[in-house]
Amino acid sequence: MTRIGFRLALAYRGDIIMTCVSLVAQVFLLRMIWTSVYGSRPAAAGLTLDALLAYLTLANLQSFATQTLVSRTIHHRIRTGTVFFDLARPVGYLRQMAAFQVGNTLGGLLLLAPVVPVVLLVGSITVPVNGPGYVITLVLGYVIAVQLALLISLIGFWLMETGAIHLLYRLVSQFFAGTMVPLAFFPGFLGALAEILPFQYTGYVPAAVYVGHISDVSGPVTVELAWIAGLWCLLALTWSRACRRVVIQGG
Amino acid sequence: MAEILRSLRLYFLLQRASARGAMQYRLNTVIGVISGAIWQGTGFAFVWVVMHTFPSLAGWGLAEIAFLYGLRLTAHALAMIPLMSVNDVQWIVRNGEFDRFLLRPLNPLVQLMGNRMGIAQFGDLLAGVALLAVAGRNAQVQWDVWLVAFCAAAIVGGALIEAAFFLALCSLSLRMVDTFALRVFIDDVFSKFGSYPMKIFGGTVEWLLTFVLPVAFVAYVPSSVVLGKLDSPWAPAAPLLGVALISLAYLVWRRQLAHYQSVGH
Amino acid sequence: MIRVEGLTKVFRRPRTFSGPFGALRTLVTRQYEERTAVDDLSFEIGEGEVIGYLGPNGAGKSTTIKILTGILTPTSGTVEVNGLVPWSDRSANARNVGVVFGQRSQLWWDLPLIESLRLVGSLYDVPAARFETSLRKLRDLLGLDDFLDTPVRQLSLGQRMRGDLAAAVLYEPPLLYLDEPTVGLDVLAKEAVREFIVETNRAGRTTVILTTHDLADVEALCKRIILIDRGKVIFDGAIDALVDKPRRLVVTLESQPEDVRGVRRDADGRYVFDIHGDLPGMIASIAAEHPIRDLSIEEPDLESVIKGIYTR
Repeated sequence: MTRIGFRLALAYRGDIIMTCVSLVAQVFLLRMIWTSVYGSRPAAAGLTLDALLAYLTLANLQSFATQTLVSRTIHHRIRTGTVFFDLARPVGYLRQMAAFQVGNTLGGLLLLAPVVPVVLLVGSITVPVNGPGYVITLVLGYVIAVQLALLISLIGFWLMETGAIHLLYRLVSQFFAGTMVPLAFFPGFLGALAEILPFQYTGYVPAAVYVGHISDVSGPVTVELAWIAGLWCLLALTWSRACRRVVIQGG
Repeated sequence: MAEILRSLRLYFLLQRASARGAMQYRLNTVIGVISGAIWQGTGFAFVWVVMHTFPSLAGWGLAEIAFLYGLRLTAHALAMIPLMSVNDVQWIVRNGEFDRFLLRPLNPLVQLMGNRMGIAQFGDLLAGVALLAVAGRNAQVQWDVWLVAFCAAAIVGGALIEAAFFLALCSLSLRMVDTFALRVFIDDVFSKFGSYPMKIFGGTVEWLLTFVLPVAFVAYVPSSVVLGKLDSPWAPAAPLLGVALISLAYLVWRRQLAHYQSVGH
Repeated sequence: MIRVEGLTKVFRRPRTFSGPFGALRTLVTRQYEERTAVDDLSFEIGEGEVIGYLGPNGAGKSTTIKILTGILTPTSGTVEVNGLVPWSDRSANARNVGVVFGQRSQLWWDLPLIESLRLVGSLYDVPAARFETSLRKLRDLLGLDDFLDTPVRQLSLGQRMRGDLAAAVLYEPPLLYLDEPTVGLDVLAKEAVREFIVETNRAGRTTVILTTHDLADVEALCKRIILIDRGKVIFDGAIDALVDKPRRLVVTLESQPEDVRGVRRDADGRYVFDIHGDLPGMIASIAAEHPIRDLSIEEPDLESVIKGIYTR
């Protein structure tokens, strides 16, 4: 499954290259907007312009690298009925799909590699303030992203048409991940909401650790681990329900 | 003239049929519209969050940016609601459906347009009009009949500019040239860069977005006129650019259609 | 009704490149691949005829039909359909022709059949009164009543084909192109389709051009066939003329002589005689010379004739 996901990423390289172009455009746009609003101000919300631009570049790269295809795949396989082949395999379904996603991400990263310098040039980057902390929070964040994607895709066992739900999920998750605005700028209730939701761990938290906006990693890591554990239980529960449903439908 | 009215009537009949088909997946349709609105909502939420901290973006206030944003969004929605199914052209050619359009006594482009409804784009329209209404009231503008008329013309003109690029690229797909990725890119540029004052991009990029891919003329130039930020005698003519471009795009379509080769033989 | 002269279609398509910038490469590099699908084709079809337009896969059948219906523009040659040039008067031509593709429905997938028919009526500007008369007739003829309100996607293949036939003749076109109208249908449904074609042709003097791989359709419906291969007409005439060959007597003998009355033994050890005149006498005279183990008589049929032509 890992290998299939990897190959699929390469097979759709056309799409991915286009996404890369779009990523470069996005980073450029953000740089221009933020540079313009900062004007001559040295810092806002505790971030200097340099740190902010590095943050944005990084957060967008991350969001690109951790985007998940797995829900789309699962949706497709449920609709076409090929899901039954997956269920027939001797490896647990969720584990297969998670492996698929990891392979797909690795494939995506391979294609992303040559674009990184361009993105860094168009955006900007600084040396990491806390490298190890960045890697840890990012990896844990990625686990959360995959878990959430799997959870969303399981809806497909109940509803046949889930395209719109996936889109909605992607939008909300991206916005609250803070890829365009660091969470530190979110005003009032929006900030509180972003603080509660788990999406920040796929974008804001690791990037903020990188630029030193978050200095103590232990807090976020604990919360991340808690999310992972909680989501794991939720997934297991939902999956057992979905499983029963598949049996009842009987194809 | 009679033929245009007939085409219009049949277009609405076809569109009603596809809408009725789509209504059978009602939940998905509703979510489609909502996610369209939310997609644009999150886009504007970004502007709002930024301007919460910083009051001015290149000399434009929140209400003014909102107006610009709303104008572009409305134009975009107006362009894409009828053209969404033209996006499928390559698929429709490949599975042979396009042959059927040529077998009927109605302009194939009208049939293609009536093939499917752009559902999510109604969300865009909703968000766009709402933004325009709120921003139009909050920005410092002395509204009169002429300005409202200019606004309407600007929206239609902007829609035509976007529609022109979209149609021309789709036309190439009649001959199995895959322009999907290119369309996504162009759409991306229009939606990302069209919603901000061109000044922030500076120099080359501003020039490119004005004269090469005329993103600036969709919303930036008309909004500047409405908001009194641009005082050029030529600026009020901006909506006419859309008319010129769409005519050109239709010529491209006709030319590509003449070379249509069907599939399968 | 239809006049085709020197019709040639050469497909010339740019080499397409895949990949994200494939579109640009395709536009920039002007490389072409050429293939002649129809080569100097000429024939005429009169009003009220039912023509079997046959040929192996890739012979140029679809290309011809697509030119006759105005979908494609030919490379050279002249075509006149009911006084019109199909590709330059496409819209006017469209009102004169009904087209059914057996493999592809023209009905709206998610709508009830009746809605699809109404839409087709509107597209062809059929006045309401005429639509109702037409519909009433078709409901009887095709037995549409059972599924008129069913969404098309829920119809069986046979029902869907009846719906497609109804849509194609709703505006009473003088010319009907049927491309594999019985493909995938069961015996009864095939029979219904054939009856409908016979009736439409009889009642309205509708000219029918039928392409099919099911030769039973052709035998049941067509008097004349046009056979094409590699873009050229290889036979044009009455079916009777094509199958006008002697019956054959196939004999297996107890002994296996090298030849019997000048007929050599075939690979299966059988002797095949063309039958001219007195069959019992012929059998008797063979039996008198060699003890017969088994014998059979083969009637010439369209299928074996055409198979013979295809494999030639």
